[in-house]
Amino acid sequence: MAEMVTLTIDGRELSVPKGTTILEAAKQIGTEVPHYCYHPGMSSPAMCRLCLVEVEGAPKPMPSCITTATDGQVVRTQSEEALGHRRAVLEFYLVNHPLDCPICDMSGECHLQDYTHEEGPKHGRSREPKRVFGRDDFGGDVLFYGDRCVMCTRCVRFMNEVEQDSRLTVVERGSRSVIDTFFDEGLEGTYWHGNIVDVCPVGALVSKDFLHKARAWDLDHTPSICPGCSQGCNIELHTRDNLVQRLKPRENLDVNGWWMCDYGRMDYEWMNAGGRIEAPLVRRGDTAQAAGWKDALGTLLDRVRGLGSPTVKAVASPHASNEDLGALKAFLDALGGAEVVYRGRRAEDEVVLKGFPSLARRRDLTPNATGAELHGARRVGSDEATGGLDDVATHDGVVVVLGDPLDDQPEDFAKDASLFVYLGQHAPPAANGADFVLPVTTFAEQEGTFTNHEGRVQRFWAGMVAPGMARPPWLVLGALAAELGDTAAAVRTAAEAFQSFGSRIPAFEGLGYDDLGTRGAIVNETVAITGEGA
Amino acid sequence: MAYPYVSDREVRIISTGFGDPEQRRIDTYVDRGGYGALKKALGLEPGEVVDIVKESGLRGRGGAGFPTGVKWSFMPKEKNKPHYLICNADESEPGTFKDRELIRWDPHQLIEGCLIGAHAMGAEHVYIYCRGEFFEATQVLAKAVEDAYAKGYAGEDILGSGKTIDVTVHAGAGAYICGEETGLMNSLEGRRGQPRVKPPFPAQVGVFGMPSTINNVETLCAVPHIVTNGPDWYKEHGTEKAPGTKLFCVSGHVNKPGNYELPLGFPLAELIDDVCGGVRDGNALKAVIPGGSSVPILNAEEARACALDYDGCVEVGTMLGCASVIVMDETTDMVKQARRMVDFYAHESCGQCTPCREGSAWTAKMMRRIEEGRGTEEDLDTLMSATQEMVGTTICVLSDSVAAPVQSSIRKFRDEYLALIRRGERVGAA
Amino acid sequence: MSDVPFKNPGWAGNTGEFELSEDEVRGRDFVGERPKHAGHASGAPTMPYMLPEKNPEATLFEGEYQERFEKILSRYPTKRAALLPTLNLAQELRGYVSPESMDRVAELLDLAPAYVRGVATFYTMYNKRPVGRYLVQVCTNISCNLCGADDVLSAFLSDTDTELGETSEDGNFTVIEAECLAGCGFPTCVQINSEYFENVTPDEVPKILEHLKSRGTS
Repeated sequence: MAEMVTLTIDGRELSVPKGTTILEAAKQIGTEVPHYCYHPGMSSPAMCRLCLVEVEGAPKPMPSCITTATDGQVVRTQSEEALGHRRAVLEFYLVNHPLDCPICDMSGECHLQDYTHEEGPKHGRSREPKRVFGRDDFGGDVLFYGDRCVMCTRCVRFMNEVEQDSRLTVVERGSRSVIDTFFDEGLEGTYWHGNIVDVCPVGALVSKDFLHKARAWDLDHTPSICPGCSQGCNIELHTRDNLVQRLKPRENLDVNGWWMCDYGRMDYEWMNAGGRIEAPLVRRGDTAQAAGWKDALGTLLDRVRGLGSPTVKAVASPHASNEDLGALKAFLDALGGAEVVYRGRRAEDEVVLKGFPSLARRRDLTPNATGAELHGARRVGSDEATGGLDDVATHDGVVVVLGDPLDDQPEDFAKDASLFVYLGQHAPPAANGADFVLPVTTFAEQEGTFTNHEGRVQRFWAGMVAPGMARPPWLVLGALAAELGDTAAAVRTAAEAFQSFGSRIPAFEGLGYDDLGTRGAIVNETVAITGEGA
Repeated sequence: MAYPYVSDREVRIISTGFGDPEQRRIDTYVDRGGYGALKKALGLEPGEVVDIVKESGLRGRGGAGFPTGVKWSFMPKEKNKPHYLICNADESEPGTFKDRELIRWDPHQLIEGCLIGAHAMGAEHVYIYCRGEFFEATQVLAKAVEDAYAKGYAGEDILGSGKTIDVTVHAGAGAYICGEETGLMNSLEGRRGQPRVKPPFPAQVGVFGMPSTINNVETLCAVPHIVTNGPDWYKEHGTEKAPGTKLFCVSGHVNKPGNYELPLGFPLAELIDDVCGGVRDGNALKAVIPGGSSVPILNAEEARACALDYDGCVEVGTMLGCASVIVMDETTDMVKQARRMVDFYAHESCGQCTPCREGSAWTAKMMRRIEEGRGTEEDLDTLMSATQEMVGTTICVLSDSVAAPVQSSIRKFRDEYLALIRRGERVGAA
Repeated sequence: MSDVPFKNPGWAGNTGEFELSEDEVRGRDFVGERPKHAGHASGAPTMPYMLPEKNPEATLFEGEYQERFEKILSRYPTKRAALLPTLNLAQELRGYVSPESMDRVAELLDLAPAYVRGVATFYTMYNKRPVGRYLVQVCTNISCNLCGADDVLSAFLSDTDTELGETSEDGNFTVIEAECLAGCGFPTCVQINSEYFENVTPDEVPKILEHLKSRGTS
């Protein structure tokens, strides 16, 4: 138990661990002291001077971001003195900050806007012409609007301390100070620079990808997990008109801190891709015909029941959720069990975030290989997620494919199969011979969990509406399993799916959505991914 | 041989070598008793040397006036890591020109003071951070350091004492803020010279993360004399709270500008009228800045009542600073000069803290507009309140220095501002 | 050192009761000619000499300059601390601190180029672009200003026929405004390359410029 100190902030007494700053302590009573330069993930230079508060007995106002709480301390964050300092600092910012909010990407989520609106001066008194720096392309995904910069240096410190590739610096001094790179060097070749856009409290650093694409207030935010690798970074999907506009990291100190890599951040367009299968396709004779779910599943069950005791081979996907994989297993078990393989892309190297070394873009470029392994699937194929399916392709029993795009497979894939069921978002040529092509959702369109590289199970939520009749795989496969006699597979929500299917896997035993909370939970056993290419 | 102007009112302790090119030569310096204090100090325990300096009441001559011996005693006694003494020779407060003289005329006096200080604080390395512009003075100092090494006063086993103290001359590259001790430390480490947040204080975490003490040139120059002659001798000069002598840098509208070494507490009126031969051309005195451009301006009446020591200056609403007396006669355009000082601080702001970075530049623009006849009376209120928010709200006190000339000139010479504003209004109306 | 008869218009010359030669005032009689490797490690290596002759293509570093660079490194517990002196050295050779120089210095000291740029631009003495053979820095701060520094600056500009910061057509002079040079008792204080000129009045400006031109490459 850490040593505690008791202090009074705005008349409320509270105890915090020794060493806690006043700014962090104030958060505990719901008071956010305005600040720019302070960021919990970096050093605190105490230079924006916005977080000055009144501390009884101190001769000067104290920067709450670096002043630690002490026993008996009396702090006032809302006194006329503290408000006066903040008003003054905000006025100083507005001497040069342009009022280009209508064309600024940050508008609506800008801390200068917020603070000024809440407690800034009613009228700026400056009559002087504003300083002009103009716009600069920093390379990578970053544009710099120098005039909007509040010189908090979070971006410089992120590159120095967190990414530890000092591409950014403050050039010049005084009011001529401006953030810059080394002339034309730019940010190219850095892998985490998207985070500097996130940490910028104003619209000085903006994403080229997101530039003028959406207004902040039109975006819906959905908590999610980055599907780009097995790290499992906590993210938010920012959507508008049922399209993902951008991904943003979400704080989780156990996984990704406040950060995410540029690969993951930029890999979202596939979630918006058109050309989806919108209705179940049932092969009748030589043609695949669209059908309703009841018809499709009824027909499928009839076919299954006619097969007796088939041998079954299945291809799962490490992009599928634990719930999907559990439902797949339940379905396959109802058929009498199956050999399950999966394929996933792997990068050559890990890309570690040096200043937060438990975070890396992992070699495994899939979000749930651990989940797949826990459900008994075996890794096959190359690092490009090709090959390894020869046994399945030529199988003469039942073939079930969940999610694998089969890009490398020929059109006559599984042509000898007695039954070929394909569940996916798109119908690849290799699924042309499938008896059933069932439209399922992406992770962005459903609720569920992934198990990351260290065995942490984390929840994600649905941020998009699925096209047409696409349904979560767990719902489809669970219904099939239930019809085949596994009554516990008849689940109606993702939480039930996790509970029902998870209870069958020792690693997930005893875990429910309530246990996962915001930071996820580590599964009960460690998992080493073996198999081909591991 | 005489320094440009001398006065019989002076008490010359540290300025005896001024104007004497022989003083730089190590043999001459030694013949005149130089390095005797070092010899004596090396025979004493470090703590005893600290006590002597403490006892003398010597206060830092760089501007803040903190007791030197007390500052030295903050250095940790245990020696499990390197300790550093840094001599602040980054003299750049407008109106101040004493350190350059001390360095170029009497470099060994400074080196000796550095070595004694290093011995007292257990420092094995002294960095003398010279202002980059001081090419000529720095070369003199470097040559003197070389001579000190050659004669065994610096380097290994100094004078057979077994002590090793290195002395390195380091040059800055043009930044006023490096005269601030933590800015100086950053600069010495090869960083942007931005002041650091305190705590930690330099005696705990200083340059290169090690215990460090930073002393002004003039402070260290006084040390050999105190060690040689004892604290009581030193206290014979000056006042009880501010013992000793001080170099007064007098510039501006006087007949005989220059450096005068005088006991602390010397009346400002006598400094101007007697020592410096009065205001030029028999003009009337208008204003005096007694401590360099970052302290409040005094009007003639206040100046005449001012005694030049730490408390005496506070009594008339200003500060002694580094005793840089800038004298202004009746012809002075106060608005222009206040604006010039603000321009300086805006130029030299390191840019870290928002009130300083934005406030200094904003203030400079407002002052310029008023000077050009495009101001309003409302601007004066804005200037007063905006600069008030620059006082005590930043990491270092450069920001406070903007407020001093602006506020004191508006308070004391408001008529001049109003005249410019009215003239502008008339032009505008026509 | 010049053999052109020239009375330093310094504070000794036309005020006070001071009778010393220019060399004695400047300390040149004491210092003598400094070697390029600059002598003892503790002293000279750091000095930001400003030389009239510059070679923007000079190698960083070789020969005696490499020796000086190594002396610089030897004096600090970290390589980073050698940054300012090393930039001084680069400027002494090349006349200004170009992007290429920053990049090279970064390489020599294991620092990021952007970091070096950040530091170099913080300090005003690093010329970010080429300057004339003589860089004339006129103090216009308060003490000099009270005594007519603005007129001295105007005289330098008109007599060199340049604008502030611009290099004269013959490549000899670049005139800039400087902040307080700590010569306040001897206004107007002007720094030209490595030398101070004090008590400068507007009518002395042509004399000073002639003197510099006649000096050749010293």
